[in-house]
Order: sequence, then C-alpha cells, then structure tokens
Amino acid sequence: MNIDFERISELITKGQIEQLQEQTNQAIETGTEPAILLNKGLLPGMDKVGQLWRNGDMFMPEVLRSAKAMSKAMDILRPHLSKDDMGSAGKMVLGTVAGDLHDIGKDLAGMMFEGAGYEVLNIGIDQPNEAFVNAAIEHKPDVLGMSALLTTTMPRMGEVINSLKESGIRDEMAVIIGGAPVTKEFADEIGADLYAPNAGSAVELTKQYFAQNNS
Amino acid sequence: MKINQQINKSTQFKVLSEDQIEQIFFASLEVLEQTGGQIFHEEALTLFKNSNAVVNGNTVRIPPFMVEEALNFYPRKITLRGRDKKNLLSLQKDTVAFGTGSDLPFTYDRETGERRRTRYQDVKNAGKLVDALSHYDFLMSHGIVGDAPNPQTYDRHQFMAMVENNTKPMVVTSVDGEGLEDLWKMGCLIQGGEEEFRLNPLFVAYIEPISPLKNDRTAVEKLLFAAEKKIPAMYTPCPSSGATAPATMAGMLVQSLAETLLASVLCHLKNPGMPLIMGGVTTLLDMKMSTYSYGAPELSLASAANTDISKWLNLIMFSTGGCSDSKILDEQAAAEQMTSLFYSYLSGANLIHDVGYIDHGTNASLESLVLNQEMMGLVKQFGKGINTDDDHLALELIEKQGPGGEYVTTDHTFNHWKEWYLPDLQDRSDYETWVANGSKTMGDRVKERTQDLLDNYQPKQMTQELKQELKKICDDADKRHA
Repeated sequence: MNIDFERISELITKGQIEQLQEQTNQAIETGTEPAILLNKGLLPGMDKVGQLWRNGDMFMPEVLRSAKAMSKAMDILRPHLSKDDMGSAGKMVLGTVAGDLHDIGKDLAGMMFEGAGYEVLNIGIDQPNEAFVNAAIEHKPDVLGMSALLTTTMPRMGEVINSLKESGIRDEMAVIIGGAPVTKEFADEIGADLYAPNAGSAVELTKQYFAQNNS
Repeated sequence: MKINQQINKSTQFKVLSEDQIEQIFFASLEVLEQTGGQIFHEEALTLFKNSNAVVNGNTVRIPPFMVEEALNFYPRKITLRGRDKKNLLSLQKDTVAFGTGSDLPFTYDRETGERRRTRYQDVKNAGKLVDALSHYDFLMSHGIVGDAPNPQTYDRHQFMAMVENNTKPMVVTSVDGEGLEDLWKMGCLIQGGEEEFRLNPLFVAYIEPISPLKNDRTAVEKLLFAAEKKIPAMYTPCPSSGATAPATMAGMLVQSLAETLLASVLCHLKNPGMPLIMGGVTTLLDMKMSTYSYGAPELSLASAANTDISKWLNLIMFSTGGCSDSKILDEQAAAEQMTSLFYSYLSGANLIHDVGYIDHGTNASLESLVLNQEMMGLVKQFGKGINTDDDHLALELIEKQGPGGEYVTTDHTFNHWKEWYLPDLQDRSDYETWVANGSKTMGDRVKERTQDLLDNYQPKQMTQELKQELKKICDDADKRHA
C-alpha cells in the first residue's frame, strides 16, 4: 500500500492527533518501514512546524498540539524502531531542581522535545540532586534538562553536574539548562553544555549541538 | 436560571453626568442668546435676518428654540464608502473609527532626518500607509501638498494625492467654497454620481470656525455649500483654553458647543437635514511656550467630555487622538499619542483624527503612522471588555486541571487564546532572542516596517479614465486661478 507521507506531515502541522494515530497504525500494519515513516512523514512535519514557529506564523498552543500529535505517533512507532533509526532523537530526563516548585517552562520544553521525537522522562518539580543522578543512571538519557526559576535555586544545577561527574557519567549526556534567571554565562560557569532562553529554541539548540559533536 | 443580570459587553467610560451635560448645553444656549456669534458672510446673515434670530451688523443672536428645532434634523447615522466599495464606515453612536490628521506643513524626511516642507509624494505615501494599516479607518491628508502649482488650488492636488494610493473613506480640507465644490465633483466621479455620493459619501468636509465665536467668509461658504449638496461636514471648533476660550475645561466646552450650535442653526436654515457632524480639537495654550498643545492630557479630557455631549445631542462626533507635541517620534511622542488614543477610544467618538501627529500639528511623520497602528491595536483590545459566560468563567476547566495542572495544552486555550491582542511590532521576546535578532528598538522596527510597506504594498489603483477626469478638474481650477 502506498503511504501518503505528505498527508502525514500535514496531520502533524495541523495537530490532528487522532487521525495521525490512525494513519500511523495503518502504515505499520501494512508493512511500512518504521524508519521511513519517521524520516519521510513525521520528522518533516515537525521541521515544518519549527519553521512556521520561527517565522512567527505558528503559536504556542498550535505548536504544542503538533508536538503532542508527534509524541503520540512516536509512542506507536518507538517499539518498532532501532536505536539507529532514532538518530539524534533519543531520550531525555527533565526536572526542576530542589527548592523550586515551578514547572510550566520545563514542561513546555519537555513537550517540545517530545514533539521532536524524544522520549521524555519528566521527573517533576523540587527534585533533590540525587534524583537527577539516579534517573540518569537508570534511564541513560541523551539529554539531561534542568530548570530553575529562582536565583536561590540556580546553584543546585551546578551541584547536579558535579554529582554526575562524581558518578562518572557526566560525559554520557548533554546537559541543558533553562529558566528566567539563567544565562549562557551561568551555563558555561557551571559546565552545562547548553542553555536555551525559551522552550521553543531548546530543541533547535540541542539538534545543532548533536550535529556538531557527531561530525 | 439567573435573573437581574447586567453584562458589560465592553468597557464603560464617561466623563460627564447627564446633569453636567445639561448644564453645559443650557449655558451654550445662553451664550447664543445673549452674546451671539459673528458671521462674515452675506448669504448667511440674510438667512438669519429672515429667521427668528436677531442680527446686528455681523453679530447674530439666536433664541434657544431655533437650536432645539435644528437639532431634531441631524442624522444619527451616516455610512461613508471609500474608493474601494468594500471600505464602508458607519458613523453612529459608540462606533469608533481612527484616522490621520491633515495639512501638516512640514515633513520629517526619512532619508535626511531633517524637517522640510511637505510635498505631493509625502501625501501619497501617507495614503498608501493608511490603506495598508488595518486600524486606520479613514484618511486625512496627513501633510499639505506644498509643491502644488498654486496655493489657491492646492486642495484639488492634495485630494488627488490622497485618492491615488488610498481606497478608504476620507475627511478633506478645502481652500474655500469653490475648492469644496471641486472636491465634491471629484468625489461624485469616484462614487458614480451625485446620488451615489449622497447615499454613501466618499468624504466628510472638514470646516472650522475661528474661536471665540467668529465665522469667517470661507468657512461659512464651505458650510453653506455642504448644506446645499448634503455633503457631510464637521464644523470643528479649535479653541485653545486660556487664550481663545476660557481657561476652565467647562468654559471651553460651553463656548465650543455654542460655536457648533450656531452652525447647526445656519445649516438648518440653508437646507434642513444636511449631515452635520459635531467636532472639536479642544485643548489648551501651553503657558510656558505659547503653543497650541496636542499632547496635553486636557485635550483628551475635554474631547471625551465633548463626546459625551455629542451623544446626548444625538450628533455624530469628530474627535482627536494619537497626537503629540514632541518634535520627533520619541518616548514623549509615544506616551502622548497613547494617552489620547486611549481616552478618545474609550469615549466612543466616531471619527478620531490626528492619529500620528507630532510637533503640535506641524510635522508629518510616516513612521509615526506606523507606530500608531500598533498602539491602536493595543487600545482597541480594551473595548472587548471581559466575557463572563460559563465557557469564559472556565469553572469546569479549572476543576479538571486542578492544583499544579497546566492550561497550555488544553482545547480551551487552543480555542480562546486568539481573543487576545496579537502583537505585531511590539517585542515580547526574551533577552537572548532579542539580542539574536539584532537588539532592535521599537524605533528600528517601525523604520523597517515603514520602508517595507512603502516598497511593497500595492494599493488598488484607479482606472486611467477616472484619473484623467479627476485631473481635468485640477487643471481647470489651475487655469481659473492662473
């Protein structure tokens, strides 16, 4: 059966979740190669979303709806994909550091990563340093994301990075941080790999980072 | 089932109580009865002599019943139609339209950054921008065509400059009665005849008395011609409080209303039912610099009060907003323009003019027109008020998402966020994104947008045939006045 990849991309940009799930299931049942479905249908759809978003032609609620559609399709597809098929879109552990109960920014970032095909393990708010380390050991993520909205809790992010070093797993993942008081300078200071000023740019910056480091 | 509910569909704003409006109205009637007004026009004086008014030399005193009778005849609704038929503009109570001002002698030159005389092309450019920018509902010339062949016929050329690039309804100024007649002929050609123009006029004629209580020949000439042909006209007092009107806002309102009411009686005597519009640029003389202020908060306060009076009188209102005394488009300009935009909008005036004025009504700035587009958008959002129906109260949703939940991915947000104002030039990015995009100020963005619109916006053009017919009227006028 011929799969209309353009139609699949369009379902992503329009955020039509149920129809996309249906199409994805149908494609797999009829024997479409999962990697081809991902690379020809789903990812181009999300690329288009990213492009519209950067140009100011798409807005947060619309982008998140598309991201959710992508994420639901990925839930169906993931068991059929090998590690190589996934490319850079891997696994992410995400949380807000100890003493900080803010979560919307972090959650938005998580949704954007899901939209890019990532499997996101959101460990929640007010997470002690060891919770990040333990999650990193258990899930072996490609990306570890930390958020802080308070200047008083920002230092926890540096402490988590030190703990990762002590556990000998720091270099196995990219660490990305964000939150209103956080800056690029602060990220460099504590030894994070990436800093994103907003949820929308986090995925883009991460993609660029992996593209540079893998070449 | 709820009973006794009162829902505000929009924001409510009023300066004067009904009793205060009556105080001002009765005081104005007394001014016309006891003090009267001066008129320097033979036909007008004859009309008054043949009526119940009392005429001594040039001074006309009018009994209140004549005013009351005249006021019964003015329309509460006029629908203007632009050169493009889809640009309809209904003037009626509490329906607000924004537009530019007119005849600014100088222009802020975007290339040299200097102030120079305004030219034909500047007016054309203003017309183009107003056509392109959605929050402008009508066009006044913005600048005065300073390079017209003859100052006595500049108004016909200015009209051409306006209609060339603009398809929205207009408010026009004219040199004298003959000038207005030519503009009306041009308007009739565009609308498809005199009758069509009468039904849906292309423009309103801007006419002003000389405060205090003086009516010069050319103003009256225009007014009587407008009355004869039933051309909508506003007779707009421009008093400066403390100089050509009392220093108190109430005193200025009494006097300027008397000036308007005198015109209402005169037009009624000439041709009952002509579409007269109430107006006013009611502001003050700055006592430090002796300038007529366009940025004074009193302009907004008095204009809003004047609009309250107009509604009580059932007259359509021409008001003022979006203007500034600042010499250039800077922080002062933005603050003053925003203040008067806000209050004039909330007042519910029907035609709010002078949007984009800087340098107390002497300097034209195209960039100022573009900045005001965004500011009008911000202001208009306020008129939407707060919807409190069940869907908007969102009780079910709050319950569903619960403490610690989020709303950004809900259908409710997806369906309602577009009710918000969507910023265009206003920057709401985070610091890093702003830096990455070139650390641009609002001024930078306004400049870029202005250039972009001038380069790329394509207004609907007139046919060559129509253009030729209009041009002939200009040429004939130039010949007559050579």
